[in-house]
Amino acid sequence: MSTLVTLLRLPRGPDPNGRGFDPNSTRFVALCPTTISASTETWTDSVEVGEEQRARSALRESFLRTLIAMTNKQVQFHMYERVEVEARFGASDIDVLNFQVSELQTPIGVQKEALLRCQDVISYSFDL
Amino acid sequence: SSILYCLLARLSETKVSMAMRQTPLTCSGHTRPVVDLAFSGITPYGYFLISACKDGKPMLRQGDTGDWIGTFLGHKGAVWGATLNNEATKAATAAADFTAKVWDAVTGDEVLTLAHKHIVKSVNFTQDSSCLLTGGNDKIIRIYDLNKPEAEPQEITGHTSAIKKALWCNNDTQILSAADDKTVRLWDRNSTEVVKQLSFDMSVSSMEYIPDGEVLVITYGKTIAFYNALSLDMIKTVDAPASIHSASLHPDKDFFVAGGDDFKLYKFDYGTKEELESYKGHFGPVHCVRFSPDGELYASGSEDGTLRLWQTAVGKTYGLWKCVLPGEFSCLMPNN
Repeated sequence: MSTLVTLLRLPRGPDPNGRGFDPNSTRFVALCPTTISASTETWTDSVEVGEEQRARSALRESFLRTLIAMTNKQVQFHMYERVEVEARFGASDIDVLNFQVSELQTPIGVQKEALLRCQDVISYSFDL
Repeated sequence: SSILYCLLARLSETKVSMAMRQTPLTCSGHTRPVVDLAFSGITPYGYFLISACKDGKPMLRQGDTGDWIGTFLGHKGAVWGATLNNEATKAATAAADFTAKVWDAVTGDEVLTLAHKHIVKSVNFTQDSSCLLTGGNDKIIRIYDLNKPEAEPQEITGHTSAIKKALWCNNDTQILSAADDKTVRLWDRNSTEVVKQLSFDMSVSSMEYIPDGEVLVITYGKTIAFYNALSLDMIKTVDAPASIHSASLHPDKDFFVAGGDDFKLYKFDYGTKEELESYKGHFGPVHCVRFSPDGELYASGSEDGTLRLWQTAVGKTYGLWKCVLPGEFSCLMPNN
């Protein structure tokens, strides 16, 4: 007579909302050099850390505000392979991996709804 | 009836050995066939597993549990090959989008894209992770210096058909390659010349290199063949009941496992060549199989889009598997 080996639980599957690599995991915290160069310095350099953090916050806030400002506006996207397209910007996903756009004008026609892969975008511009 | 059996055994105070049936751990997440997989070495954080999939999204998992850690996003085509460096800090992938990519395996970020002129099938790091070997449909083996990624790679030509696999061997001084031209070739890294060559009647389906002991495992047709990796002298061959796509030798060299067309995993005794076990579970052909670095489990990737982890010693407590002694009742029993 044979019995099945028992399991503590099943393996955890992918998170449908993100690409993983949890920055709070032990391994990440231990191995990842901090992106804030100043914070690798000693405690007495906390002024530098503060300044760098302030600059980073300002840049991040500015970027997020541009995304808000872009909503429903006509945006020109300059992409790899000499692709230049224009579309009405809808939204970005949380990891800024994809932009949701409407009425995407392409050389082969107008796509009503589309997702643009952010990695393929070199730059984009729009009028405020 | 198994409860009654346990009660009786306890009452009679005899030692009961229950034949344990293998319960594979199924890792889902991929949406297309899994065509390649690789383990890292043993790191302070355990060991890791990377899977290459035709859906273009290779995944990193914790090696002993199968828990998903992250997905490497960036390839624009099927990923045919994937590998990790020993420390699991870097990953490399080979894809149908004509690129090989190097990734930071801790953050998941893409670090480097290496453009090729055709589908890339195989990637392999040197022991110190300083160089990357690539091979694919353009029949050329390339060596990239990861410290100087802008520099042109060193090229090794000679194969007359698409390269399936290219691996560093002999302390990264030589290279082993298998191609659709039905040859396996051993090259000197510095001279880029062929040192030795094996010819077969059919295409080699897979190749595994075991540095400890210098063993080369090759599969073709229904055969699993073992060669000395330095001399390319044949050690032995074993025939399986079905066409085999991949095989792996246990680190202690007592067992090997193989899988292929009939969806099953086979376990053989390496010494006696005897078939010991066969396991059903996958719903499609098995494309790749590898032992973990500690030999406690082996992972298989299949056309059915799943990875499965199998115990080497069935019934042992390890990872997510729990040994249940007679008389103990565990809450969680998998449905079958």
